[in-house]
Amino acid sequence: MSTIAPTPAAEAARPVVRRRRRFTSLPYLLGLPAVLTLAVGMGYPLYWQVLNSFREYGLAQQFGQAPTFVGLQNYIDLLTDSGFWTVLLKSIAFMAVTASATMVVGIAVAVLMKHVPGWSRIVLQVGLLLAWAMPIVAQMTVWNWLIDDRNGVFNYLLSLLPGLDLTGHNWLVNPWSFFGVASVIITWASVPFVALSVYAGLTQVSEEVQEAAQLDGAGGFTMLRHIIMPILRPILVILLLLQLIWDLRVYAQIELLQGFGARGSQYDLLGTYIYGLGVGQGHFGVAAAAAMLVMVFTIALSWFYVRELLKEDES
Amino acid sequence: MRRSIGRGLGAALALVLAVMWVFPVYWMINSSFLSAATISSLKPTFVPFGGTFTNYRNVFTDSGFMAALGMSLIVTAIALVICIAVAFLGALAISRFRFRGRKALVLAIILVQMLPAEAMFIAQYKMISGLGLLNSIAGVSIIYVAMVVPFTMWMLRGFVAGVPADLEEAAMIDGCTRMQAFMRITFPLLAPGLVASGVFAFLQVWNEFALASIILTSDSSQTLPLWLRNFAQPSSLGMIEWGQVMAGSTLVAVPVIVFFLVVQSRMTQGLVGGAVKG
Amino acid sequence: MKKKTLAAVAMAAAGVLALAACGSGSDTEATSAATSAAAGGAEDITLWLMGTDTPDALIDYLKTTYADENGGTLTVEQIAWQDAISSLTTALPDATNTPDVTEVGNTQSATFTTVGAFMDISDMYDELGGDSLLQGFVEAGSVGDTKYALPYYFGSRMVWYRKDLYAAAGVEVPTTLAEYTEVNKAMKDAGIAGSYTAGQDWRSGISWIFANGGDIATFDGSEWAATLESPEAVTGMEMWQDLYTETSVAGPTDNDSTAYQAINDGFLAGTPAASTLAPNWAYWSLGDLSQNDAGETVATWNDDTFGAYALPGLDGGIAPVFAGGSNIAISAATQHEEGAKTLMRIIFSEAYQTMLAENGLGPANLDYADAYTSVAAMGEIGLEAAQGAKLTPAAPGWAAVEEAGLMEEYFQKVAEGGDVASLAAEYDAKIDALING
Repeated sequence: MSTIAPTPAAEAARPVVRRRRRFTSLPYLLGLPAVLTLAVGMGYPLYWQVLNSFREYGLAQQFGQAPTFVGLQNYIDLLTDSGFWTVLLKSIAFMAVTASATMVVGIAVAVLMKHVPGWSRIVLQVGLLLAWAMPIVAQMTVWNWLIDDRNGVFNYLLSLLPGLDLTGHNWLVNPWSFFGVASVIITWASVPFVALSVYAGLTQVSEEVQEAAQLDGAGGFTMLRHIIMPILRPILVILLLLQLIWDLRVYAQIELLQGFGARGSQYDLLGTYIYGLGVGQGHFGVAAAAAMLVMVFTIALSWFYVRELLKEDES
Repeated sequence: MRRSIGRGLGAALALVLAVMWVFPVYWMINSSFLSAATISSLKPTFVPFGGTFTNYRNVFTDSGFMAALGMSLIVTAIALVICIAVAFLGALAISRFRFRGRKALVLAIILVQMLPAEAMFIAQYKMISGLGLLNSIAGVSIIYVAMVVPFTMWMLRGFVAGVPADLEEAAMIDGCTRMQAFMRITFPLLAPGLVASGVFAFLQVWNEFALASIILTSDSSQTLPLWLRNFAQPSSLGMIEWGQVMAGSTLVAVPVIVFFLVVQSRMTQGLVGGAVKG
Repeated sequence: MKKKTLAAVAMAAAGVLALAACGSGSDTEATSAATSAAAGGAEDITLWLMGTDTPDALIDYLKTTYADENGGTLTVEQIAWQDAISSLTTALPDATNTPDVTEVGNTQSATFTTVGAFMDISDMYDELGGDSLLQGFVEAGSVGDTKYALPYYFGSRMVWYRKDLYAAAGVEVPTTLAEYTEVNKAMKDAGIAGSYTAGQDWRSGISWIFANGGDIATFDGSEWAATLESPEAVTGMEMWQDLYTETSVAGPTDNDSTAYQAINDGFLAGTPAASTLAPNWAYWSLGDLSQNDAGETVATWNDDTFGAYALPGLDGGIAPVFAGGSNIAISAATQHEEGAKTLMRIIFSEAYQTMLAENGLGPANLDYADAYTSVAAMGEIGLEAAQGAKLTPAAPGWAAVEEAGLMEEYFQKVAEGGDVASLAAEYDAKIDALING
């Protein structure tokens, strides 16, 4: 109902607001719990993080020594450290590959669902839903069992192919293979959400409008551009933004995969890198600075989409 | 003719994809019914016929499981209820009103999601400890609510904007009070949206383990992901007893699957109704 | 799961334990008389143990004995090794939530002692065993003459081997370090078995550096500096690289967590391992495999097929091995000083030390090592190895080096065939950046 005519709905809201001008305190009252929750749950940690990114704060400070203010030193240390840049670029590359794979597969699955008979669509939907429902720790544990080097089913099946013997092959040794596995697992886990959302969007494209356009001689491309995209676009923007954020700051999956496979800086992405720097090695100040930098880079990378969202929000 | 062949191929492809996505889930359940001897053989067993419930018995007798299940259910329920309530009110504010500071609030809830959480663990620990809430349900819930509110609020915003305020107006003209109009007209229309956002909040809270490992140190206050992570460690024999670990994984996944099935129709409605609409 | 299998082990040892507890009854009473005079009243305290190495029977003993002596309740929490550093870092400075007494990995001790996380217990040192305590560990827990963390238990690595596979290949137990490679190479070339030389297992591999006279790092009086580049260390590492390439059936990312049972039947998919380096408590994990009633796999030691020997040195004798184990300390932030001290006295009592020994964990107090050699499996070889055992540098930043996984990385890269000299230089620089805290 709403999405068929989103703009009128949004426009309708505005005159209402004008009429309610005397209740100006209401929005603040409504927003207050959210602001309070964030202030309570995030306020102090955020303050601590910003503050300590400018201080020398290590284990000694954690155990009572007074922290000293070092200005931008933590930031300078990081930005001049090739290790930080390596992890950053690796993470961006990982995010780019994983997010695009997720979007492409997700959209393809959604389009497929639109065009297959009902029964097979339901089977696929249930399948996606089951995969989506898997908690991350369970997901990672199962995948680790699938690719287990000793008697995982993955190596067994691949070894059935002629000329291929993968018995005992450990997928988590080579860093490329490690990140490949991570990327496949994350894609597998994120596709259901993307596919179901895009499919939900596609069902909003009215059949009559499409048929009418077809009668008017609109080709596939015109149809896509003028009828399908306007409805799909906002959905795609937010999905892409979410994948971007989630895949860039991925922590749990990498941490668990390292736990099953091997630790070491060559298997790190930003999440595990920052965790290791702070909680692991006790360089809390530097870790805080790294987190701030990562946030800045995330904002920079996603600014285009954030602006898009804000623009839509304004209209 | 050509069309029906195309549809047949499409259906076949859909089935192949369904198998690809279900296989890990199937394999988890399959393995959970196999005995240690069967599972350690080099040739995988594809169907759990003649299987055993031993693995499940071992999970249930594991000292930590029931406690962790209880802890996870309570923490998730509390965080979910508070989060939905808070986020819903917040979403009303930013989607139904224009007010000073609105844009800042919107920007803040987007940006806060971009902050890597891993560097804040120490500060979060200090805060929770300062409040005397370590190893407590309240302590972990406070952090979790703050963690999921921004995203939930953002999602709900789209739904609230999608319900035309005219309807409410019309009801008010018919003599309803504002509150009545809201409860009778707007709220039911929002239900699928609340469900869809709730699913996300649920998943995030149910999945979290990194922070939990720091502020829930006591054996008696573990959550399920923490329990499973430790349970999946190799035994002192160095072997991962996959049957048991898969039984554990299955049990961790079951509440989520049940939850999904219960809310499934609403959730699909929710997604259709513009869950992720900008 | 891990906990349960260990519990089974503990059950097996329980019979012996009961006897030991009776034998030392008088001793415990003496301790309790001393403490009740000092203690002000009942205090509820918390003890953190790392991992599940301390069997349940011993934990129960600590709880009941503490309740008897202090009247308060002892809560024991087991922290997973992977969460050890993060949990200690957050909880130790926090007076309201700190564990009163905590176990800490011996290589992590220095990091916490240097920042003042533990209470000075120099005054108790003699009472708790004094110079009878394993000195290498005492040093790791001291700053100068001030004692902060004392040894809890130790284990030294030895070679566990398969008698049947050695016999099948017609090789004998090696007597020099070079022979260790030759013997395993002969078996590997014959397609019978190999050595389980895990690529990331630097705690075992470090013996090759030690045996050649090298070290990880040295202290010049003011600063620590990594010495992997030294000619001795490089020679040792090249020898280890040769061992890895020629004989190993383990992978480059395998680590010591799987070394315990690598020589059990069916552990590896392909060529089995006939030799592995593991601490003495590997005894409980090695042997013929069978299923118990609960459907879990258990190992029963079989003297006909399994054996152990100390890793031979460069020219015979024994090679210095890495001493694994942990220390135990009182948190500086504890609010229950008397209770914590009482617990320390119980832990260092003859009764408890004997129990540790009987479970294959080397007792901190070497006076009770007799029990260790006579009761604990392979205790004699273990003690022999322990005498030459070495520790990691007692440097403030050592825990950070471990947490960053630098040693694992270095060994993995060498295992993957990298050039030892240039890798040594690279990792010396990386270690130097962290080791001084």
